[in-house]
Amino acid sequence: MKSHNTPMGRVFDVFNHIILALIALAMIVPFLYVIAGSFATEAELARRPFFIFPETFTTGAYQYIFSTPTFIRSIGVSIWVTVVGTIVSLSLTLMMGYALSKSRLLGKNVIIYLVIFTIIFQGGMIPTYLLVRDLGLLNSLWALILPIAMNPMWLIIVISFFRSLPNELEESAKIDGASDIKIFLSIALPLSKPIIATFTLFYAVQYWGDYFNALLYISDNAKYPVMLLLQNIMTMADMRFGEVDALVEQPDQSLKLAVIVVATLPIMFVYPFLQKHFAKGMLLGSVKG
Amino acid sequence: MPKVETSQRIPVQQLPTNKVTKWQMIVRDKWLYFLLIPGLIWFIVFRYVPMWGTLIAFQNYSPFLGFWGSEWVGFTHFERLFQNPDFYRILRNTLILALYETLFVFPAPIILALMLNEIRFTAYKRTIQTLVYFPNFLSWVIVASLTYVFFTTSGGIVNVIIERFTGSTIFFLGDPEWFRTMIIGQQIWKNVGFGTIIFLAALANVSKEQYEAAIVDGAGRFRRMWHVTLPAIRHVIVILLILNMGNFLDQGFQQIYLMTNSLNRSVADVFDVYIYFSGITQGAFSHSTAVGLFKGVVGIILILTTRYIAKKLKQETLF
Amino acid sequence: MKKNSLRFFLSLLALILIIGLIGCSSDSSQGTSQNQDTSSNDSSSDSSNDNESQERMSVTIMAPSFSPEGLDSDSPALKAIEDYTNMDINLQLVANANYEDRFNVTLASGDLPHIMVAYKTPSFINAARDGAFWDITDYLDDYENLRQANEIVLNNTSIDGRIYGVYRSRPLGRNAATINTEWLDNLGLDIPTTIDEFYEVLRAFTYDDPNQSGQDDTYGMVVSEWAGPWNTMQVWMGAPNKWGHDENGQLKPDFMFDEYREALRFFKKLYDEGLVNEDFAVMDSGQWFDPIVNGTAGVVVDVADQANRLQNRITENYTEDDIILDVFGAVEGPHGLRNLPTAGYHGVLAISRTSVTTEEELRRVLQFLNDLNDEVPQNLAYNGVEGIHHEVNDGVLDIIAQRDGGTLFDREVRDLNQFQMHVSGDLFLKAPQTALQKRQDEVMEANMDIVVANPAEPLISPTYTERGQQLDNIIDDARIKFIVGQIDEDGLDEAIALWLRSGGEEYIAEINEAYQIAQAAQ
Repeated sequence: MKSHNTPMGRVFDVFNHIILALIALAMIVPFLYVIAGSFATEAELARRPFFIFPETFTTGAYQYIFSTPTFIRSIGVSIWVTVVGTIVSLSLTLMMGYALSKSRLLGKNVIIYLVIFTIIFQGGMIPTYLLVRDLGLLNSLWALILPIAMNPMWLIIVISFFRSLPNELEESAKIDGASDIKIFLSIALPLSKPIIATFTLFYAVQYWGDYFNALLYISDNAKYPVMLLLQNIMTMADMRFGEVDALVEQPDQSLKLAVIVVATLPIMFVYPFLQKHFAKGMLLGSVKG
Repeated sequence: MPKVETSQRIPVQQLPTNKVTKWQMIVRDKWLYFLLIPGLIWFIVFRYVPMWGTLIAFQNYSPFLGFWGSEWVGFTHFERLFQNPDFYRILRNTLILALYETLFVFPAPIILALMLNEIRFTAYKRTIQTLVYFPNFLSWVIVASLTYVFFTTSGGIVNVIIERFTGSTIFFLGDPEWFRTMIIGQQIWKNVGFGTIIFLAALANVSKEQYEAAIVDGAGRFRRMWHVTLPAIRHVIVILLILNMGNFLDQGFQQIYLMTNSLNRSVADVFDVYIYFSGITQGAFSHSTAVGLFKGVVGIILILTTRYIAKKLKQETLF
Repeated sequence: MKKNSLRFFLSLLALILIIGLIGCSSDSSQGTSQNQDTSSNDSSSDSSNDNESQERMSVTIMAPSFSPEGLDSDSPALKAIEDYTNMDINLQLVANANYEDRFNVTLASGDLPHIMVAYKTPSFINAARDGAFWDITDYLDDYENLRQANEIVLNNTSIDGRIYGVYRSRPLGRNAATINTEWLDNLGLDIPTTIDEFYEVLRAFTYDDPNQSGQDDTYGMVVSEWAGPWNTMQVWMGAPNKWGHDENGQLKPDFMFDEYREALRFFKKLYDEGLVNEDFAVMDSGQWFDPIVNGTAGVVVDVADQANRLQNRITENYTEDDIILDVFGAVEGPHGLRNLPTAGYHGVLAISRTSVTTEEELRRVLQFLNDLNDEVPQNLAYNGVEGIHHEVNDGVLDIIAQRDGGTLFDREVRDLNQFQMHVSGDLFLKAPQTALQKRQDEVMEANMDIVVANPAEPLISPTYTERGQQLDNIIDDARIKFIVGQIDEDGLDEAIALWLRSGGEEYIAEINEAYQIAQAAQ
């Protein structure tokens, strides 16, 4: 896009850049505090309500975290669940979404109603637990994937995306005798890189952040994902989550912050990697022309 | 895009709808069904098989006695909900907050996406995009703590600045008048960046030619935004808006609970907090399920209403 | 077409629901079988060294876990406890974060472990009433350790007057205030012993420059949005502990007593004079103790063990010379020295009737619980095995497993204390204590003589179960609003009237009725 700019447009540009920079600053500053706090001493954390550079720099919290194999192992579990889960979820969602985007499909409306119904009504914790148990998934990492393998809301959005794809290419492939599967794989998917990137990210974030299913279904500590450890440490001695047991040693504030950093940084790096794919959809223009 | 839709529909409607033809349609689309089936099975197994859990709203469910051993009580829990002296206050608080969310939180990522879309330096754009998505990963506990640090009247930086200019402080955290603003502000802060992603993905489908054509037509900055950019993401906006209506009464317990205190509780009591205390701390599985059902029915009505309005406005709604 | 698909959808929905219901009918029947084959893998290794006459019984215990590592099933400390009690222990440790949820799904699954740590939630109460757990009221006296359980605490754990589990003992007199003694010394004051002295100290801490900075940068007491401190202080001031007897012998809630109102006036005075942090009503509990650590406030009313924790935050690994904090239990009010007790326990070990089916087995499990209270298993659970996890030199305990980040302790010892009860007292060795920790223990000990029991603690009111949170909110909110000056005494009366209308009336009646029944039963 070359600039075809009016004076009005230039003023807008300047403002736009500045405002966005301010917004980004407001978003990043608290996170900088979390990182700084994880390197600070307890005394400093109590004395200064907010800071970005600790006065006394200490890596004690990180030494503690990495002194045991626990965190590294749990990050491994989280990575496995996130990668496998995202692949499963994407496959299910894209396949089902593509099929349902074809309005000629018999029964399409009923199924979409079925899907939307589940956005609003769910069975709840106990029935789902009994189901997972009856499927023999207790203490299996699949229990962290299958119960949340599809998000009905995202499925609907995927359907809507597929619908907005231009029809011409598919029509001509059809005339050439290509099957629906072939069209899906070789035409629809390559045109959908932006949504695939989007939902890769969404599902990855969902799997990474989930601790509740692990809590219910996993008994073996070796299979704990890192978010469950985070949750454990955050709630261990926090009266906002109920009575604090006299027996429990309270974790240091800096340790809590360090655990947040260790548990969230890996997933935050997914986005910059996916980001370039959001622009790939631009090739659509040439297809159309 | 809608034009494509209609042209696609015509052949289907022209087909005579007798049984043989239906079978032929299924055979014709066999590979589409092949793609559909795994997901459909998932929905049936993981979403519909546990659906009996909603029926405990009509029981006094005891986990130990199980579904078949628990006593059936009909609509007792619904009566209890509606007869609760606090019901209307909770309903009112929930509705107002939900309305604010729809008015302010929902459009925020769209606006941010449009602003980002106008940035031409890719590096700058990507940096901003990455930074705004960070807050999504901070838990509400941390957000609540930081909110206190920034907004307290005892030395919070925001009030220090306000005091310097006006000579008085604002009781953001305790004044009921400010509660909703704070909640909405927190939600925008935490979720706007992440919410933008989906609109940016939709914008990726807008072709350069469309922009260039608009420029040739002499369209200025804002007209291009209005006539090219917005229409490209309109279908996503409409769908998201309709689907959000299904969860209209959901507020997210943790955030509200952490921001509630004795001074602002009159406006902070919402259904999700009520459900938490009646369901988790009072163990009344059935009662909280009943409240959930009530919320769900409201959600269904709102989804259908929004869909109806969208259809009237000639928007594509999918179903 | 649209109408048809909607109708079709609804009938499909009905069909799927039916399938789901059939599916769930098999749930309750298939429990209990799973527990038998547990912990078989390690029995071979130590079968050589024990020649017990009785065969080992396998027992599964579900308990919360605080160690990030979990507990190794071949921990030598666990093995030693198994040998001592002649049991095969299979631990189901659950991350503490949402133990309650896991407890509920376990109840629903029908696969109940032999022993479960249970908190007194409505869910546990209902399950106990429905016969999920053994009523052990009449068995306790047969066991030498369990017999020594504290009556007040037992009463607190009871459901409808019956005992459904052995409690995990915690200090009853845990509530106490922490005070900055450096400031006291600077001002030439002593630890307050009466309400008036308490007020004078707070006043001096606020206005007489206790830190000698020459600036007005301190205040007396820090309170957060959590209401605990007010509850404790109003008992000092003579208000009952939640429920008290009025002149007619009827039970009435605390806020209907004059002493309560008097206490609130005192709190308001503290607030009005700036002796308490101005934003306490909205203060995030996560930051509650920061003003003590950074030296802007001089007093905090919480629990005794907080003092050591705070001292450690002020000076990490502090020595005796560093100590600037001290603890006191209560100050004397119009009715003398009184303090608010805790419940005295944190959860009970309940024995499930689905896994422990016969009375013979119950006896065996009770014997096991009893034996766990002995000195040897207590030491194993808290300190691990001597030579591996700890050493004792001249009677001084050194937990060597806690060195180097404490991974060994986390992996092999830490969670073992989650099924410890010590109902007959703390018999395990404790690591050498600082002067401050000794003070804490003294204060908790002294508190035992001045704590005021809540006569309604074990009583259950259906109205309260249903609406308790709302009722409590009415009173708690009114109290805070009164202290900060948003409402006056008329406003308090209105709040009480609202409370009575919203179910309080029934609540009082139900509690009094339950109290009569409980009295008659004794």
